[in-house]
Amino acid sequence: MQRRYRTIPDLKLNESALTLAFTDPALAGKLTAMGVLPGARIELVRPAPFGKAYYIKVDGVRLALREEEAASILLEI
Amino acid sequence: MNDHSGKLLKIALIGNPNSGKSTVFNQLTGLRQKTGNFPGVTVDMKEGRLRFPSGFEATLIDLPGTYSLYPTSSDEKIVTTVLTNPQDDFYPDALVYVADATNLEKHLLLFTQLLDLDLPIVLALNMSDTAAEAGIKVNTTKLAERFSVPVVSISGRTGENIQKLLHELEKLLKTGGASIPPFYPLRDSEKQVSDAVQLNLSVDNPYRALLLAHHHSWLPFLPKQERETLAAIVQTKNFQSLKAQVDETLDRFDRFTPIVRQTILQPSVEPATFTDRIDAFLTHRWFGPLIFFGVMLLVFMAIFFGYDITGGWVENGTSAIVDIIGNSLPDNWFASLLTKGVLPGLQGVLVFVPQIALLFLLITILEEVGYMARAVFIFDKTMRRFGMNGRSIVALIGGGACAVPAIMGTRTISNWKERLITVMVTPFISCSARIPVYLVLIPVALPASSWWTKALIFGGMYFFGLTAALGAAFVFKKILRTSDPSYLALELPVYRMPHWKNVWLTVWEKVKAFIGGAGKIILYISIALWILGNSGPSGALENAENNVRSTAAADISQDSLNDMIAAKRLEASFAGIIGKTIEPAILPLGYDWKIGIALLSSFAAREVFNGTMYTIYSLESVAEIEESEAQNQRPFERYGRLRQQMASDTFDNGQHVYTLATGISLLIFYALAMQCMSTLAVVRRETGSWKWPVFQFLFMSGLAYLCAWLAYTFLPKV
Ligand SMILES: Nc1nc2c(ncn2[C@@H]2O[C@H](COP(=O)(O)OP(=O)(O)OP(=O)(O)O)[C@@H](O)[C@H]2O)c(=O)[nH]1
Repeated sequence: MQRRYRTIPDLKLNESALTLAFTDPALAGKLTAMGVLPGARIELVRPAPFGKAYYIKVDGVRLALREEEAASILLEI
Repeated sequence: MNDHSGKLLKIALIGNPNSGKSTVFNQLTGLRQKTGNFPGVTVDMKEGRLRFPSGFEATLIDLPGTYSLYPTSSDEKIVTTVLTNPQDDFYPDALVYVADATNLEKHLLLFTQLLDLDLPIVLALNMSDTAAEAGIKVNTTKLAERFSVPVVSISGRTGENIQKLLHELEKLLKTGGASIPPFYPLRDSEKQVSDAVQLNLSVDNPYRALLLAHHHSWLPFLPKQERETLAAIVQTKNFQSLKAQVDETLDRFDRFTPIVRQTILQPSVEPATFTDRIDAFLTHRWFGPLIFFGVMLLVFMAIFFGYDITGGWVENGTSAIVDIIGNSLPDNWFASLLTKGVLPGLQGVLVFVPQIALLFLLITILEEVGYMARAVFIFDKTMRRFGMNGRSIVALIGGGACAVPAIMGTRTISNWKERLITVMVTPFISCSARIPVYLVLIPVALPASSWWTKALIFGGMYFFGLTAALGAAFVFKKILRTSDPSYLALELPVYRMPHWKNVWLTVWEKVKAFIGGAGKIILYISIALWILGNSGPSGALENAENNVRSTAAADISQDSLNDMIAAKRLEASFAGIIGKTIEPAILPLGYDWKIGIALLSSFAAREVFNGTMYTIYSLESVAEIEESEAQNQRPFERYGRLRQQMASDTFDNGQHVYTLATGISLLIFYALAMQCMSTLAVVRRETGSWKWPVFQFLFMSGLAYLCAWLAYTFLPKV
């Protein structure tokens, strides 16, 4: 079966996608408060130099997220 | 302005991180502020005095920045704790909500939560200067209507409309603010819980009741019984806190986003900005880490070479003053206490005030421009490998200046284990108090080596401290357990030119607190030392003096005689007795009883070392040793007088005290040992018990003893 979503690690550099939902309730609380909302457009700017984290942009706001945090955000295909 | 009981009214500044709260705080209070960053003052927040145009005064509190009343880290928890407890000392009479006008859509969640707490509130749209440049137009009148609160467009940077903000605030305090229906109507499940809490705990505000239910497990002010009642309510109503939080947050965004869109005109295209271009380098896969190490190296060199410029004149200047005072006073006990006790002790602190100021300055600039957040991002993975959080790097860098504010800064780390490890290992980083100790000891250990060798060893000491910190962190990582969640999720603020007023105020405040803290300790210790060094068991000092006089050779010079008398008197004094008593414990490290005294007093604060050595050697030796290198002193040639005295000192068997082995052993001891009461006090405050500071003291000092012993045992004693 094909996945109906992808996550930030699946994005190419400078590619963006709309947020659908979150997988982890605790992270969802934190991320939504910071303005990462369902329907927001997330752009992958670059991975961290040593890996395991991502530099992203959400509606013009720049955020640093860990791999797990980034993977908890479901994006549209 | 006063409340009914006659106390000053309290206003709190609140807002998201990076909204410019601290800048606005500085604008409003200027130098009329104090921080509780240091032991003795158990305040968690910055406080200042606010003066209204009409002459009224009020207290202004700067609350930590947070995104919502659902906190994850302990600094965010402070905000929820204060605002859900009307009995709290800091519970404000009114709020100034600082929001970034250039990004209002992301900055109003917390604001709408506060609206529902029914606190009088002024909405301050900050960064009006940047907003205007970007072509953003806000209809403040309409915004004020929609939220039923006063709205002022301000700039913390240019000071625009700050007076107007004060004016609106004063009006609000007089009228008490409009009573408005809740911005967010509670859902059924929330309402049931909230009603039950209101009924059982007699809470008047429904949203506050809901927050108590959400946070009942950790809110510190709840009595046990209320906590249990709340737990029971949550249980019987089957209240899903996490899900409710997310639903509430989304609902609030849904409600205020249209309001923002209707009141703000924002140009639609977002240009590729300055920040993106800079970050392409600063967070680049290769350049990012390289630039970071380059910046750290520059900071280090600035401290080291900065010392070239400042250290000399501070030392020469203060020495000159001590001499002038000494020569102008009559020869009595008071003059002796002053010139041989207090002043040399204070001199030991003053010499590195320029250093610590420079360090605080550089670190504040890195923070102010927004670079620290990038360092956190780059090194999160590395720090986690050592059981810490990316945010720990801020503490480790700050520890290079002083561990006390650095440890307070760990409050942004939400995971208990990561935070604790950071707190435990930050004092291993060579703080500025160690600089003068290193500068005295390196030439003592290696008198004949070249200037560059010494400089390299100086750098090596920092590397050694960092290695110890990471090594200890790695061990703690294996031992400690926690189920706390750990987050990175960090906003990377846009790069801005530093706002110099902010920078100066921050540096000034930290240096002031530092001098206040260290100065006091040093003052007490040098007085205590002088007393201990000038008194002894009855008749002991006189006996010692008479012994010298009767056995001295007839042709000895007056100066040498005085020297010998002073030395023997010190040995017979209480200080000498204490030193001699602990000598067996420190002899394996190569230290004599005089170093023992310095070591003991250094446990109050390591910067006491130089001061104590000055005091001890000036007690001992009355004759002035010529200061041969008064001019053109490079860092390692300073403290000439002290070093000459140290170099000529011998054990009873005639062997020199200060050899390579002893010097290195002392250097290692000072790099590793926990010798700072202020740090221990702040660790106790931040961890909430004496368990951790005691443990920290024991393991750091134990490690120091072990490593110093190894060094002394295996190095040549020449
Ligand atoms: N252009 C402009 N910059 C501002 C203004 N107010 C603050 N800044 C800058 O915004 C940055 C963040 O300001 P702070 O005052 O440290 O922000 P804060 O909200 O206290 O941040 P936290 O300490 O993280 O809570 C700094 O670089 C300030 O110089 C303003 O009105 N205009």
